[in-house]
Amino acid sequence: MRVAAIARNTFRENIRDKILYNLILFALLMIASSFVLGQLTLGYDDKVIIDLGLSAISVFGSLIAIFIGIGLVYKELERRTVYALLAKPVHRWEFILGKYLGLVFTLLVNVVIMTAGLALTLAYRGGIPLHGYLRLLPAIYLIFLSLALITAVALVFSAFSTPALSALFTFFLWIIGHFNLDLLRFSRTTESAPAAFIFKALYYLLPNISNFSMVDSRNVIQSAAYYEPLNAAAIGWATIYAVLYCAVLLTLAAAIFSGRDFK
Amino acid sequence: MSGFRSFLQAQRRRLPVAGVLACAFLLKPVQDRLEARLDRASADPDILYFASPSIVKALALGYDGLVADVYWMRAIQYYGRREEAARRLIRYKNLPALLDIVTTLDPRMADVYRAGSVFLGEPEPLGAGEPLEAIRLLDKGIARLPGDWRLGFDKGFAYYLYLKDRGRAGQAWLDASRVPGAPPWMEGLAARALSEGGEVEMARSLWQRQLEEATRQDIRENARNHLHSIQADEDIWTLEFFVEKYAALYGARPRRLDDLVSAGLIRFVPADPSGVPYDYDPDSGWFSLNPKTGVRYIKMTYDYREEFRERLRRLYDAVKTQTTKTSKR
Repeated sequence: MRVAAIARNTFRENIRDKILYNLILFALLMIASSFVLGQLTLGYDDKVIIDLGLSAISVFGSLIAIFIGIGLVYKELERRTVYALLAKPVHRWEFILGKYLGLVFTLLVNVVIMTAGLALTLAYRGGIPLHGYLRLLPAIYLIFLSLALITAVALVFSAFSTPALSALFTFFLWIIGHFNLDLLRFSRTTESAPAAFIFKALYYLLPNISNFSMVDSRNVIQSAAYYEPLNAAAIGWATIYAVLYCAVLLTLAAAIFSGRDFK
Repeated sequence: MSGFRSFLQAQRRRLPVAGVLACAFLLKPVQDRLEARLDRASADPDILYFASPSIVKALALGYDGLVADVYWMRAIQYYGRREEAARRLIRYKNLPALLDIVTTLDPRMADVYRAGSVFLGEPEPLGAGEPLEAIRLLDKGIARLPGDWRLGFDKGFAYYLYLKDRGRAGQAWLDASRVPGAPPWMEGLAARALSEGGEVEMARSLWQRQLEEATRQDIRENARNHLHSIQADEDIWTLEFFVEKYAALYGARPRRLDDLVSAGLIRFVPADPSGVPYDYDPDSGWFSLNPKTGVRYIKMTYDYREEFRERLRRLYDAVKTQTTKTSKR
């Protein structure tokens, strides 16, 4: 209940921070793409709109997750509002979880509205069967999972570092998260056993963002753009990975936050 | 002085707004001036910063589809801006790399292989004049999309038209005809190419097939332009032939083309495929397309003028002999 109250408050705060303004940019992008692309491309109009729409959902969502996530705890500390809150019978882990869920819910609202915008743009162009729209949903779901994971990463850094450094760390981890498969390849090709161990350890340790962009060796956004189905079991495994990784990160964030001295 | 001051005082809120507006309006002419000073020849350095598909793929961070779309649009603009291309040292130097990047990032864009092979294979100035690159691109497409017979069809087309290699064209069509879903006429096409002769008729039937079956407007338009160009070439060669016959019979070229009809050499004066009469110069005996023509003429890569004239001569002689025999009876 207390977690829900903090989450609700975080969501309200995000709305007050004009976070949904990005939707206007997204809407403009979608409208412009539906009119301009016909002039620029040769065929593939709907594919380009889907690629652009899903990539925008992912990129905008990631930027929001990073730049709002890094301030979630830090801002409360800076404004000293956290003292008033923690003076009440609220556990520190509840504070962290509430903050996290509040931002994840903000991202969910964003993703839902952007998905509606994408669907409207496609409907305006016409000629797309119903199953085409439905095939977009698994990709959007996986994008949302990646956003939830990035938010958790940002929250961990927010619990002990300044926003600037947190943004830098989270952004780098987001980039590295796309290259995790290379770490695995390095571990398999290197002849040095310690190096192989380090690469393997990093492969498991770092957030594997590519789990949500590649499923069964297929690019998730591309599959959606060709209206191809994604394997449900693979999506299930990606969900389990996200839940487990976020749980670890949130525990870590709660532990760091609990260990901090606010006197 | 005090009047001016009081004016400034009264307008102190409006003046900054007016100033900002004036600056904003001035931006355009200033930018135009700066643009006019640019050396247009050096404005396009024709540099591809990332030519390696694997590097671009790595930098795409999983947004492969979107980056492929962007590179595809870039390839189209790169190819489509003919004036810019004409100013480059090598017209389409980066086109193979651009298409390679697109098809590495998204190997399923079948139209990129198809249209890209035309961009690469067509001789300059229409295309890059790189038929081997066109075939390499199509081979990549056939490897990635083995179920798409159209890529094999296009490969045969590239061999036939750009490299004039009928044997390999026939083999490519034969391979394509074995792909499930390939139309039944493909095998016949392969057979015709593999057999000797019939070069122009083959080209005509290929363009006709594309005109009838292509779903893309630009490919149909290209096929129509080729068909019209073949027709215009043959019309002009026919008219030239009869002008020469007229000159042999009457000692001078006809002043008007209607004279050929009056002399009984032809039944009517043909117009070009867009319905506009051909231009005729009685002094030189030369024909050309009228500037008002709707035909977008493309010079054929094969020359069969003499072969065509020989056929006409035989036909003319056969008709003449037949007419003489009939009149004797």
